[in-house]
Amino acid sequence: MAPSLGNFLLWLSLFFATFQFFASRKKNNLKLKFITIAVGGLLISSLLAFFLLIYVHVVSDFSVLNVFQNSHTTKPLLYKISGVWGNHEGSMLLWIIVLTIFNYFIFKLYNKKNFSFISKTLETQAFIIIGFVLFTILTSNPFERIIPEQNDGLGFNPILQDPALAIHPPLLYIGYVGFSAAFSISIATLNFNNNEKIPWYNYMKPFVMAAWTFLTIGIALGSVWAYYELGWGGWWFWDPVENASLMPWLLGTALLHSLIIVEKRKSLQSWVLLLSILAFLLSVLGTFLVRSGILTSVHTFALDPSRGLYILIFTALLGGYSLILYGTKSKKYFNNDFFSFLSKEGSILINNILMVIVCATVFLGTVYPLLIEAFTNNKISVGEPYYNSTVIPILIPAILVMGIGPLLAWKKEDKSKIFKKIFPSILLTGIMTILIFSIYRSYTLIGIVGIILSFWIISNNLIILIRKNKKYSIGMIIAHLGVGFLILGITGSSVWQEERITRMKFSEETKIKEHKIVFEKIDEIKGANYIALQGNFLVYDENGNIFTKLKPENRFYPVTSNFTTEASIHTNLFRDLYIVLGEGNLNEGWVVRIYYNPLVVWIWIGALVIFLGGLVSINANVKKLKILEQ
Amino acid sequence: MKKQLIIIPSILFLLILLTFFYLLIIERNPSEIPSNLIEKNVPKFEAESLINSKKFISHDEFGNEIILVNFFATWCKPCIEEHIYIQRFADEEKIRVIGINYKDNPKKTIKWLNKLGNPYSNVLLDKNGRIAIDWGVYGIPETYVVNSKGIIKYKHIGPITEKIYKKINSLTKEIK
Repeated sequence: MAPSLGNFLLWLSLFFATFQFFASRKKNNLKLKFITIAVGGLLISSLLAFFLLIYVHVVSDFSVLNVFQNSHTTKPLLYKISGVWGNHEGSMLLWIIVLTIFNYFIFKLYNKKNFSFISKTLETQAFIIIGFVLFTILTSNPFERIIPEQNDGLGFNPILQDPALAIHPPLLYIGYVGFSAAFSISIATLNFNNNEKIPWYNYMKPFVMAAWTFLTIGIALGSVWAYYELGWGGWWFWDPVENASLMPWLLGTALLHSLIIVEKRKSLQSWVLLLSILAFLLSVLGTFLVRSGILTSVHTFALDPSRGLYILIFTALLGGYSLILYGTKSKKYFNNDFFSFLSKEGSILINNILMVIVCATVFLGTVYPLLIEAFTNNKISVGEPYYNSTVIPILIPAILVMGIGPLLAWKKEDKSKIFKKIFPSILLTGIMTILIFSIYRSYTLIGIVGIILSFWIISNNLIILIRKNKKYSIGMIIAHLGVGFLILGITGSSVWQEERITRMKFSEETKIKEHKIVFEKIDEIKGANYIALQGNFLVYDENGNIFTKLKPENRFYPVTSNFTTEASIHTNLFRDLYIVLGEGNLNEGWVVRIYYNPLVVWIWIGALVIFLGGLVSINANVKKLKILEQ
Repeated sequence: MKKQLIIIPSILFLLILLTFFYLLIIERNPSEIPSNLIEKNVPKFEAESLINSKKFISHDEFGNEIILVNFFATWCKPCIEEHIYIQRFADEEKIRVIGINYKDNPKKTIKWLNKLGNPYSNVLLDKNGRIAIDWGVYGIPETYVVNSKGIIKYKHIGPITEKIYKKINSLTKEIK
C-alpha cells in the first residue's frame, strides 16, 4: 500500500513540476492560474510523499526496502524519524521538499510589475526540481518495495544516532537548496532585458541570506556531531564531505556581501550574477561528490554508478547552460566603477576576493586527489597540513578587513578620521588579549595572531552595539560578533589543545593541566538499543576537590553489530575536558584518551550567534522587500 | 580581457566534469587501499557451517588448493548480481569457493541458495561479523583469492563483474 502511494506521489510531483515548467514558458491568459495550481500541487504532493516516508519509518513498515535497510523496531522514535533523511534515498526526498518550499516562496514574489520575470525564475526552478525528482524516481526511489515483506530491519548506523545529526541534514539542505533560488533568479535576470527595472537583487537577497544562515548552522551542527560522536577530540577534519558544504558557504559569504553593494551602489551586478550561479553549482557538485561514491568514504559499498552519472550529467547541463548564458548575456550588467580602497564597498570587495580565493583553494584540495588519480593512477591524500598552510594566511587579512569594514563610510572614507574611529576597539583588543594570555600563558605566533584577530572583531562590534548606532544593520553586527567568538574558539582549541593517551587501571590517576583524573570503576549499562561499558572518572580541581564525574561509554549495538565510543565532556567557558574510553580489560587496564580543549564552547556559541544575526537579517530583508512592493 | 575571464572558468568547469566522468566510468573503487592481508596467511578462525553441522576450522581447509573466499548476504543486492560469476568460478573453472554468510538469517540463506544455485563448497555463518573483521572487510560483497599455500594473493571489494572475473581467472592460472 504505502509503496504504491509513495510512488504515485513522486510521479505526481514530477507531473506538477513539468506542468510548472511549461506553464511558466507559455504566454497565456490562464498562465497565472496554471502556475498557481502547479506550484501548490507540487508543494502538496512532495510534502505528502515526505510525510508518508516519515510515517512508514515511524510505524516500521518493512515492506519498504528503505525502511528495511535503515531502520529497526527497537530504534528510538527520534532516530526513526531522523533515519528518514539519514540515508541516501530519503535525503534526496528532503532535497526535493526544500526545493519546492523555496519554489513556493519565489511564487509568493509575484506582483503586477514583475510577472514575466518571476515566471522566468519559476521556469528555471521547475527545471531543477524536475531534475531532482527524476533522479529520485529513477535511481534512488525511497519507496522501493521489498518482496517478501520482512519482519525486522537491518538497523541504522549507530554512529548517526545523535541529536545534532538528526537536525543537521535539514538545516544544511535549506542552505544548499536556498542557493537554487538565487540561481534561478540569476538565470531569469540574464535572460531578461530588464527594461522595467526589476529589483532582482532585492528578490535575491532574502534567499541568499536564508541559505547562508542555515548553511552556517548546518555546518556547525555537523561539527558538533563530529566532536561529540567521533571521539577524536577535534571538530573539523577537512574531510571532502565537510569541504563540500564549506565551499558554497564561502561563495555564499562573498555573494551576501556583494549584494549589499549592488543594493546601495548598483555596482558589481555581473559579479553577483556569477557568484550566485557558482554557489548553486558548487552545492550540486558537492552533492555529486558525496553521493556518487567517487571519493573515499565509508559508504561506498553497494553503490550504484548510475547515480553518480545522472547527477554529473545534470550538473553539466545546469553548469553548461548557466555559464554560457552568463558569457553571452552578462555584458549589460558590467560596469567599470572605481572603488576607493578605504570605503565600505572597497573593504567588501577585498573580502570578496579573499573568500573566492579560499573557496578555490579548498576546491583544489578536494578535487586534486581525484585529478591526480585520473591522470597518473596514483592515490594521494590531501589533508590538514595543506589547508592550514594555505587557508589560514588568506583568512588573516580577510578578518582584519572584516573588523574595520563596517566602520568605514560608503564611497570614500576620510583618512584622518579612521584612526579616531578604530582607536577604542584597538584599546579594547589590547586589554582583552593581555587578559587572556595571562590565563593561558602559551605564546605561539599563530595563537597570538588568532586571538588578536578575534578580539579585534569582537571589540569592533561590541562598541557599535553599545553605542546603539542606528546606521548599522543589527543583524550584521550580531553575525559579525558571532564570527569573532568563532575565531576565538577555533584559535583556542587548535593552538592550546593538550592530549594524554595512557593505559589506566582502576584507581590509577593521570594529570592534564591543573586537573587530576582518577579512574574509579567500570559499569555495565543498558540503553534503549545498545549495551555499554561505562567508565567512571573522578575529576579533581587544583585544590584537590572532586568537581565532576565523567562517564565515557563504549557502546555495542546488537542489531547492526557496531561498536561506538561516546566521549564524556565537561564544558565551561574556558575549556572542555574530554575523555574517551578505548579498548581494554581488567588485567591490563583500559586505553584512555583525555583531551584538554580550550575555548571550544565559543565555536558553538559563535555559530549560534551568527545564526541569530542571520535570522534578524532575513527578517529585515523580507520586511524591506514588502515595503518595496507597496 | 572580460571574455577570457568568462571562458576560462567554463573550460575549467568542463575539464573537471570530464575528469569526474572518466573516474565514474572506469572501474575503480575509491576506498580500495592496498589490503594489509595481501601476501599474508589467511586469518585463523572457526565457524559453523550452514548445511552440515561440522565445524569449519580454517587451518585444516586452507593451504591445499586455490580457494576463493566470498563474503555475501541475502540482503545485499550486488551479491545477487555477482552470483553468476561465483557460479562460473565453481562450474567452469573448477575453483573451490567458500562463502561466508555475513550478518544474515540462515533460513533465508538456504532459500536464497536454493533459488539462485549454490556454488559454494562450504557456506560459513558469520552472524555477528567477527570473521569479516578479521579479514578486514569494508562492506560486502568482497572476494579474496587464497593460493595453495594459504596465502591471500588478491582482494576485490564490491561485486564481481566480467572484467574482474577475467582478472581473477588469469590470476588463478598464474599462481597455479
